[in-house]
Amino acid sequence: MSATEEKKPQPEAQNREGSAHETRGLTFGALRVRAQQLSLREQLERQHFLLERLNAASARLLQAIELGDVYEAIGEIIGNLLGSEQVAIFRHHTSDQTFSVVWSVGIESETLRQFGMGAGFLGRAAHEGISQFRNRRPDRPVLPHEANLTACIPLKRDREVIGVIVMLRLLPQKNGLEWADFELLKYLETYGAVAAQLQDLRENPVKP
Amino acid sequence: MGSKKILLVDDSSTARLVTRLIFSQKSNYVLLSAVDGKDAVERALAEKPDLILMDVMMPRMTGLEACRALKQHKETSKIPVMLLTTRGGEQFVEEGYESGCSDYLTKPVNDTELLELLKAYLGE
Repeated sequence: MSATEEKKPQPEAQNREGSAHETRGLTFGALRVRAQQLSLREQLERQHFLLERLNAASARLLQAIELGDVYEAIGEIIGNLLGSEQVAIFRHHTSDQTFSVVWSVGIESETLRQFGMGAGFLGRAAHEGISQFRNRRPDRPVLPHEANLTACIPLKRDREVIGVIVMLRLLPQKNGLEWADFELLKYLETYGAVAAQLQDLRENPVKP
Repeated sequence: MGSKKILLVDDSSTARLVTRLIFSQKSNYVLLSAVDGKDAVERALAEKPDLILMDVMMPRMTGLEACRALKQHKETSKIPVMLLTTRGGEQFVEEGYESGCSDYLTKPVNDTELLELLKAYLGE
């Protein structure tokens, strides 16, 4: 065998090497695709999880045929889907710009009954008409009765704030609010208000 | 083989609704429901479900009382009872197991984990 011939790569060896490169290339490529698929699937699972909760929340709100039941539905949705058993719902009185409690669970009745528009963390959130989360606004001063506050969600239609949902402590096993929780609260902000206002109008029609 | 029967016990209609939606979309289980512990014991005796998924804090009879009652009846003593509650403290969990439950889960529950656990208990 000549030196030239010796240097020539053997076709079989070349094939094996090529095939190894290809396999390695395919494996890395396949792994990347698999990782992308898993990541996409994870995202879709999370979104689907939210969809299920929105579906349940909608069904529960639609079942409520009295104003009191709408409030209870909102409280139960928060209790069962979000994980807080210290919830209060306040109604806005336009005559004197105050909010008074109309439904609550797990909150001492004397602790949190009423607040004025613009007063304290709750009043400011109501005035601005924007959901506020205590851990996102540590700079904002709180009044003594707001000490355990987690979130304040205005119930609003367009810009009109008709009430406020107040969530105090989360359940001990709940580490904090997650993406799906914020989305659910956003949903309640609007559709909780729609359900409450509609039942209110049905029960107390405006007299001509 | 027919679908397994699960008795869901919760006084909150939202909780019942959520579980019903999850089960209808993701499983073939037949879901029965009861609104409190007393109702649960009666339904369990009448229907002999394969598993009971029960809240703890309920009017008339709590989940713990119902669990103890179910374990005393010969016809229902072997039915696995899973308590599903917001009460997550160590003392509550201990009380739960003392009542004879097979498992103690805290709300809010992850659907997939719940269904996997049910499958395991139902031998699927």
